[in-house]
Amino acid sequence: MFVFLVRRIVGSIPVIFGVALVVFVLFNIVGGDPALQMVGKHATAQQIADIRREYGLDQPLFVQFFNYLKEILTFEFGRSYATRQKISDMILNGIGPSLSLAVPAFLVTTVLAVSIGLVVSYFRGKLIDRATVLLCVVGISIPSLGYILFGQYILAYKMNLFPISGFDYSWSGRIEYLVLPAIVWILLSVGYDVRFYRTALLEETSQDYVRTARAKGLSEPRIFFKHVLKNSMVPIVTNVILEIPLLILGAFLLESFFGIPGIGSITIDAIHNSDLPVIKAMATMTSLLYIFGNIMTDVVYTLVDPRVKLK
Amino acid sequence: MSSIHSAVSPLAPTQPVEIKGKSLWDHAWIRLKRDRMAIICFSIIVFYATVALLAKMGLIATPWSDVVGASYQAPSSGDMRLWLGTDIFGRSVFYKVIHGTRIAMSVGLVTAVIAVPVGVVFGAVAGYFGGWIDEVIVWFYTTLSSIPNIMLLLAIAYSLGKGITAIYISLIATSWIGMARIMRGEFIKHKNREYVIAADSLGASNFSKIFKHILPNVSHFIILNFSIQFISAIKAEVILSFLGLGVQGEPSWGVMIDDAKLELARGVWWQLAGATTAMFFVVLAFNILGDSLRDALDPKIK
Amino acid sequence: MTIGRILTGFSLTLALVFAGACTKASKDSSNTLYAYSIAKIKGLDPAFSDDLYSGAEVARVYDTLLQYHYLKRPYVLEPSLAEALPEISKDGKTYTFKLKKGVLFQDDAAFEKTQGKGRELVAEDFIYSFKRLANPKLNSPMWWILDGKIAGLNEWRATQAKAEKVDYDVPVSGLKAVDSHTLQVVLTQPSYQFIYNIAMPAASAVAREVVEKYGPEFLNHPVGTGAFKVAEYNPASKIIYVKNPTFRKEVYPSEGAAGDQEKGLLADAGKTLPLVDKIVMTVYTESQPQWLTFMKGELDYSSIPKDSFNQALTPQKELQPELKKQGVALHSSPQLDITHFSFNMTDPVVGKNKYLRQAISLAMDNDKQIELFYNGRAISAQGPIPPGLSGYDEKLVNPYKGHNIEKAKELMKKAGYPDGKGLAPLEYVTISDSTTRQMTEFYQKEMAEIGVQVKVQTYSWPEFQQSVKNKKGQVWSYAWGADYPDAENFLQLFYSKNASPGPNDSNYNNPEFDKLYEKALTLPDGPERTALYQKMVALVVEDTPWVFGVHRLLFGLTHRWMKNYKPHEFHGMSKYYAIDTALRK
Repeated sequence: MFVFLVRRIVGSIPVIFGVALVVFVLFNIVGGDPALQMVGKHATAQQIADIRREYGLDQPLFVQFFNYLKEILTFEFGRSYATRQKISDMILNGIGPSLSLAVPAFLVTTVLAVSIGLVVSYFRGKLIDRATVLLCVVGISIPSLGYILFGQYILAYKMNLFPISGFDYSWSGRIEYLVLPAIVWILLSVGYDVRFYRTALLEETSQDYVRTARAKGLSEPRIFFKHVLKNSMVPIVTNVILEIPLLILGAFLLESFFGIPGIGSITIDAIHNSDLPVIKAMATMTSLLYIFGNIMTDVVYTLVDPRVKLK
Repeated sequence: MSSIHSAVSPLAPTQPVEIKGKSLWDHAWIRLKRDRMAIICFSIIVFYATVALLAKMGLIATPWSDVVGASYQAPSSGDMRLWLGTDIFGRSVFYKVIHGTRIAMSVGLVTAVIAVPVGVVFGAVAGYFGGWIDEVIVWFYTTLSSIPNIMLLLAIAYSLGKGITAIYISLIATSWIGMARIMRGEFIKHKNREYVIAADSLGASNFSKIFKHILPNVSHFIILNFSIQFISAIKAEVILSFLGLGVQGEPSWGVMIDDAKLELARGVWWQLAGATTAMFFVVLAFNILGDSLRDALDPKIK
Repeated sequence: MTIGRILTGFSLTLALVFAGACTKASKDSSNTLYAYSIAKIKGLDPAFSDDLYSGAEVARVYDTLLQYHYLKRPYVLEPSLAEALPEISKDGKTYTFKLKKGVLFQDDAAFEKTQGKGRELVAEDFIYSFKRLANPKLNSPMWWILDGKIAGLNEWRATQAKAEKVDYDVPVSGLKAVDSHTLQVVLTQPSYQFIYNIAMPAASAVAREVVEKYGPEFLNHPVGTGAFKVAEYNPASKIIYVKNPTFRKEVYPSEGAAGDQEKGLLADAGKTLPLVDKIVMTVYTESQPQWLTFMKGELDYSSIPKDSFNQALTPQKELQPELKKQGVALHSSPQLDITHFSFNMTDPVVGKNKYLRQAISLAMDNDKQIELFYNGRAISAQGPIPPGLSGYDEKLVNPYKGHNIEKAKELMKKAGYPDGKGLAPLEYVTISDSTTRQMTEFYQKEMAEIGVQVKVQTYSWPEFQQSVKNKKGQVWSYAWGADYPDAENFLQLFYSKNASPGPNDSNYNNPEFDKLYEKALTLPDGPERTALYQKMVALVVEDTPWVFGVHRLLFGLTHRWMKNYKPHEFHGMSKYYAIDTALRK
């Protein structure tokens, strides 16, 4: 296990390097001169030159790239160009709001989806199954912005059930402000998840051993709960685990539109402002989480399914 | 093989489809024809495509940019152009929805038509040849998929300076990965199958093994992925427009929904309703058709 | 993970969800002002208060030497931290400010000598604060307010740029503390804009020990002398201020402009400021949620977003009856600003062809634009100076405005592009947001009428700035809001030495204009200067480096429990606002 982990971590270095390269190249083209941004409307050429020197923007690109790699190693990304805030503080301040939305929404979605998935795959082919599947398809076919805009307009404004947008750091405030975005999140993702878990469960039902069990005359519920459920835990748990690290990133659109000051909205702002230090930090963080998630998945695989061996 | 690279696709059958390509498709076709829902959905898509084509040729809803009423006139029956009311400049929202179909269908089509083959080729080559080729391709797409999709989309769209081409390219750049993953997994499974080894002993070239022998056996994934890419491209166009990177000077659904963000407070709901409804039906049709196709092509899930 | 555990988690979360659904924001009975900002706040450092929104927040905590009178119009300055308006020497170069005695900084751990109690403000604090704006390592975007104005300050900046570390103890000849409460400023040349410059939030008094203790984190540790201090601080979402207990004695004004008495704006005359105990400032980056929150009574005042106009006002531009019934009041006042198109005067096509520019200006349907985008409530701009400033001429009629397609087409012929033939599509650079996109579409349609095709290039804000500041692109639209109430602030936008990257974004260069501008700088407000201003306006109108857009009107709504609200162009007015807590319930 240990050897496996070390190998995987070493193996992910090229990916992190690749991410750094892609981000650096793309956002240097996209650019927008940060010095011009910082100097404001009454700029002078002298001031621009001063800022470029101060931030090392006058150095050759490969030196800047090298500095970026150094930042990744030390995990020190400095300060945002746009807000002048320390990036580590921005991230720390953003994780809380992001998680307060993501964790409950994710839990409810997962529990709902797994439960519905279980029910409908048990009754596969029956009316309830087909109706649910249809409902899911309808649900995922509605554009996400439709949910957001109609949700705000009807539930928050017309019916006055929730605040329209915003965030409050107190616990009651969090609940108050996050219910609506959480509902939208759940509506947006539960359809996909139900379909996913249903497929995973049906996948299992069509295995040979189920046929054997049936032939042996075992009762349907027994086959389903004892065997099918146990074996289909692998894809289910994998899916869940794989999503967990990404929760920290929050939901870009939801956070932006509901005014939640989380990681997602920080990232969107940074892209709009060409705030390179923040973008670099976010891209690095995501790729690390992604890689971490992948490794976790493999580890979990061995834990839930003894048939899988780590190489 | 280090398994950061291994794609876990729940849709992938654990057992290969050993039937010859042709009979698989014959089989599927029979099953599809019996599926009334699939037929309806297919008709809907054909209808959208026709509308898009006619709009493109300037045969219907032309010109969309004409002023047909006052600013923000509510929907009314009678004049077709006023069925969905007017926008800020007094242009027909109904016509805009129709022209939006053209943008949506072309975004979906162009993205899927380019991204899917790119994904197939990369995935097939990586899976078939293995070794350093595999390592490089897998490194490349793992890198891309480690960066949040929306970050890539925005960065590429910004660096190409907006407009429809930028949307095409940024969507293609991010959407070939899924296909490549699946293909790579399938090719790894199939390349040591007996029928491939048999072809090999008959002196078949790599090219013919990849494209003549293995590809037909995994082609159902391509069809499924095609419909997935089509949908996600349509949705992504909306999100890009919402973030200010949409098509300029042409009525797309995304731009209409973006407008709606400002208009809802005025009680102007018809642009949002028109664009979302139009989008809903075509996405729904693709989703259902995709499901039916999968069921038809996958002999195990009945 | 067992199913049982999942289910417990599920019911818990559900309980939370429903608990949330039932807690509706309860109305507050405390003496609190619910304010908002439509942009995230960068931080509360006066030296970085270059955007409107950060400036507004800085002004709640920090004070300047002079401030704008809350009620009087046109805007006049009155002393704030200074005891009186400055004494100015005969040559117009030496300004002497007497500071108020006993003004304390807000308590902060940085004041070690006084065990965290805020110490008294002295003249040295202003010397430090002004030098800080000049600090070459800090690179304040607000440096321009002092740049070239104070004797020896530019030299100090140049010397410090070469030094390893900036030394604030190196004296500046033009900044002297005559005694602990007397500040003497020597200018390089007489300037009638200087007193406006030092009334901007950027010129607030900051305490050296606080800046040095927090270093780059100073922007998150505001310690001023102002009416409010920060209690809770999340610049991206919410800042809560409380009344500064050590705030000096300042009272509500007892004089106002005509009509203020009748509006009840003088009811609180003589009362000690601030009038509210607490300010809750929430950030709303989208206008719709902000507006809807106001409508629910959870914000005390609001501007009217353009797309919510119908909900607020009737077609006759009066308050909607249901709002009137709720006691909502409407306030409006002209804004000191202008929207415009800039032509890139360094461009070989549009920059060198006056007739083409005039034709495009004539093609714009300004009235339609005002109707569509400003709900009929904006003034068509004939020149660069907005109403309310000396130099604005009510009777001025710009001959190149007014949607005259016929005349525009004639000018196109004169320009060498009859019906647009031979003219390549103009490169129009713009930013990517919804309203701008709609406006761009409108301009495109208007220009198409005279055969001018437009190629739109959408950018993010930084890229847009880069394009403009590097003189790329041919046309773009912009807006300028007054930094201070002097038409000079608008006319400097055409001064050739201010060309990009400076604020003269069209890069207009006319030696005749420059000469007039330089002459006007040496004159105090008066008929002579106003005449020069009008001459400059005539030059700009004829040369058309801009297509003049509109002067906007500032609309404000207040709920019935909010008192003393008067639209104001400048910052720091929240100390005058009052809440009738009985009415809010």
